[in-house]
Amino acid sequence: MTTGLPTGFEGWVAEAARAASGRGLEWLEARRRTALEQARAQGMPTSKDEHWRYTSLTGLREQAFALPTEPLTALQRDDIEEALIDGLDSHRVVLVNGRFIPELSPLEALPKGVRIAGLAQLLESEPDLLQGHLNAVAGDDLPLFAALNTASLDDGVVVIVDGGAVLERPIELVHLSVGLDEPRVAQPRNLVVMQAGARATLIERYLSLGDSLYCTNCVTEVSLGRDAHLAHERIQDESPSAFHIAGLYLRQDTGSNYVGINVGLGARWARTDLCVRFSGEHADCDLQGLYLAGDGQLMDYHLDVAHELPNCRSQENFKGILHGKGRAVFDGLVFVAEDAQKTDAAMSNRNLMLSESAELDTKPQLEINADDVKCSHGTTVGRIEPEMLFYLRSRGISAPIARRMLCLGFAGEIIDKLSTEALRDYVTEQVGQRLESAPLS
Amino acid sequence: MTSTPAVDDIVKSEYEHGFTTEIESDTLPPGLDEDVVRAISKRKGEPDFMIELRLKAYRHWLTMSEPEWPAVDYPKIDFQAISYFSAPKRPEDAPKSLDEIDPVLLETYNKLGIPIEEQKALAGIAVDAVFDSVSVATTFRESLAEAGVIFCSISEAVHQYPELIKQYMGSVVPHTDNFYAALNAAVFSDGTFVYVPKGVRCPMELSTYFRINARNTGQFERTLIVAEAGSYVSYLEGCTAPQRDENQLHAAVVELIALEGAEIKYSTVQNWYPGDAEGKGGIYNFVTKRGDCRGARSKISWTQVETGSAITWKYPSCLLRGEDSVGEFYSVAVTKGRQQADTGTKMIHIGKGTRSTIVSKGISAGHGRQTYRGLVRIGQRAEGARNHTQCDSLLIGDRCTANTFPYIEVKNPSAQMEHEATTSKISDDQLFYCRSRGLTEEDAVSMIVNGFCKEVFNELPMEFAVEAQKLLSISLEGAVG
Repeated sequence: MTTGLPTGFEGWVAEAARAASGRGLEWLEARRRTALEQARAQGMPTSKDEHWRYTSLTGLREQAFALPTEPLTALQRDDIEEALIDGLDSHRVVLVNGRFIPELSPLEALPKGVRIAGLAQLLESEPDLLQGHLNAVAGDDLPLFAALNTASLDDGVVVIVDGGAVLERPIELVHLSVGLDEPRVAQPRNLVVMQAGARATLIERYLSLGDSLYCTNCVTEVSLGRDAHLAHERIQDESPSAFHIAGLYLRQDTGSNYVGINVGLGARWARTDLCVRFSGEHADCDLQGLYLAGDGQLMDYHLDVAHELPNCRSQENFKGILHGKGRAVFDGLVFVAEDAQKTDAAMSNRNLMLSESAELDTKPQLEINADDVKCSHGTTVGRIEPEMLFYLRSRGISAPIARRMLCLGFAGEIIDKLSTEALRDYVTEQVGQRLESAPLS
Repeated sequence: MTSTPAVDDIVKSEYEHGFTTEIESDTLPPGLDEDVVRAISKRKGEPDFMIELRLKAYRHWLTMSEPEWPAVDYPKIDFQAISYFSAPKRPEDAPKSLDEIDPVLLETYNKLGIPIEEQKALAGIAVDAVFDSVSVATTFRESLAEAGVIFCSISEAVHQYPELIKQYMGSVVPHTDNFYAALNAAVFSDGTFVYVPKGVRCPMELSTYFRINARNTGQFERTLIVAEAGSYVSYLEGCTAPQRDENQLHAAVVELIALEGAEIKYSTVQNWYPGDAEGKGGIYNFVTKRGDCRGARSKISWTQVETGSAITWKYPSCLLRGEDSVGEFYSVAVTKGRQQADTGTKMIHIGKGTRSTIVSKGISAGHGRQTYRGLVRIGQRAEGARNHTQCDSLLIGDRCTANTFPYIEVKNPSAQMEHEATTSKISDDQLFYCRSRGLTEEDAVSMIVNGFCKEVFNELPMEFAVEAQKLLSISLEGAVG
């Protein structure tokens, strides 16, 4: 690429520094400056860094990205038609290249007590509302890419659900990337605040129009108040040339319930960090994941679940299907602090390898400092059982179809947990299509 | 050291032409440089190739830094404050009788049922030549020689079998492997050499316990076991009785080589001094153990019971290179008081049809800190490789820690691997059941813990298994309630 921009770490930092305007808000500018300093101090991680042991940053380092400056407003409703899911009835919010587009986000029918707006919009109109929330969950000790996101923090989506409010229809955040003449990096920042007793379903989708090369470096902060409930379904289906970096920071108060389903299908290089903290007891966090890695793809998941308080429950259940030269990394850590008695945590990572050249690295870790806990983890790696295949073949089903059936069955456990039928059908179809085109050997 | 490397090089360079410093005393003064390495080698009267090996390792060691990734805390070790060679103790320095020995130690000996003469030997009391074990050892050596098995100290082997040493030493754990392996290669004091010729089934369990001249092998022990095609050997290391030792840092290296169809069974019971209640003065046990299944259908099996040491840092590993070779790792580790253990294994599957089993049982009590850290790597050519890993942790008390850090890397789809881990405490139901049948709480805990570890104890040679059970009960005394 001859963009003239510096590549690698310098490029990222230079772009982040260039973006620092802060809309004249003192606190925001200070926060962005601190984040930039943090990023500078860290530098680009290497494979010596435990969190990047199996994840090569070479591809990302060699590529220069520019920050988009102005929102892309030329898109019409018809242009994004192909990005929509049939039959999915939702409160839709559309971001293009990291910018909130009000024209494509029809938010009239929101129930009482629910507020959805663009971050940039709110920073202009009600900055005080955001000051207490932004970075409140992610904290000040940010890893590199979250720090870079914070350093150029400007736009994204804010969802605030008041106490006791219940949303019947899901909220759908569509992060759309549109190819431009030079590779762009979009760094949207999403903020989800669920007040006490609020209930909602949030669907986050990452996708592109076309196969262009770009990078998404998003951070989503979610805070759940007392007894709040959030179903959070994230479907990553970026362009096959894209880089995807996502950081999810979750904080749960007493009795709250979070069900997160992470589906990874697209991008050539995708890294997801899920970070869970509890601020009250009896909270329940359920993280489910499904990833498909095909030729030249890397799917990298990092889970950091810390039980600092007693009586919380967490479940981590990730399943992967690898084909072609696909690579996947799973690095999960469940930490139980000294006083977090009665913690119940179960982590599982199961993988299906369909080809000779796929590669998998998994690291399910437990760090336990309390005795009255129930913690377990399990990992399996294997291929499709020849007996199962034989059973289906003996019933007249051709080998490729039988394989696909078995893979879909394997993936089904996660897909079935999605809350809307339209989304379940969509994901099943996407998974099926990918398996069909995959050279199953 | 404050001088720059360049100056050091010039200062040292003259010795390359064969000058050495003469140091008179029995024990070398603290500190480590090339002269010390040469002096160690000279004192042991080693041939030139050994000096070269040691110096190469020493020079490499200088370029390395101490590993910081294990989940253990200890004050930084000053490697210049350690004396790297001490001649075997003269009898007049040793304690004269059991009266001079720590009564706590003696109590433990009695509980383990160790005969009085053995107690003296273990406690480091000078024993006279008529001591029974000497004759026992001699009988053993005779029957081993008959079978053609070589079982001697490394120093002896360097002189008598230099070809074997040249061929095998450092071939599994090269001096470049890690910080402590490099240090060991430079300054190792002594150790054991076992060679089992082709097709020979070693007639008895080999144990350093019976090799009188193996006592006082010092802090940098080196063990090399070579099993030729179709042979079998079972080796026991350590003993259940707590051992007194002046050296705080122990950095041993163990290398096992199994050729086609050979099997090596290596059992360890480690019970070094764990330090006082505050964890002061305990042994640092930083060991590199690795077995190389070079031949097809070879098998290496590690069994360890780790109850001692203030800090244990140890990962007995298997390189499964031969087709259909098998690696096993069975471990029970107990940490109590302020003990810390970071232990586990590495199973590197390279050959086709290789299989490995990992069973790790960790018991953490008091302020104990325990980490299972394991790697299972299945290479691209390891068609049909199989691994099963199970690591269970038992927590006793609410101030102890149990970590599980498994690393699993799979590059072959035909591989089948499973990993399971659980963490739990002794449940009140279990305890209540035992108590209602009239068992004291301590007996009940001991029973439950022994049941928890049974899978591993079953792998130990019989006499060891019995002792290990007793040891475990004693180790956990007072940990409950």
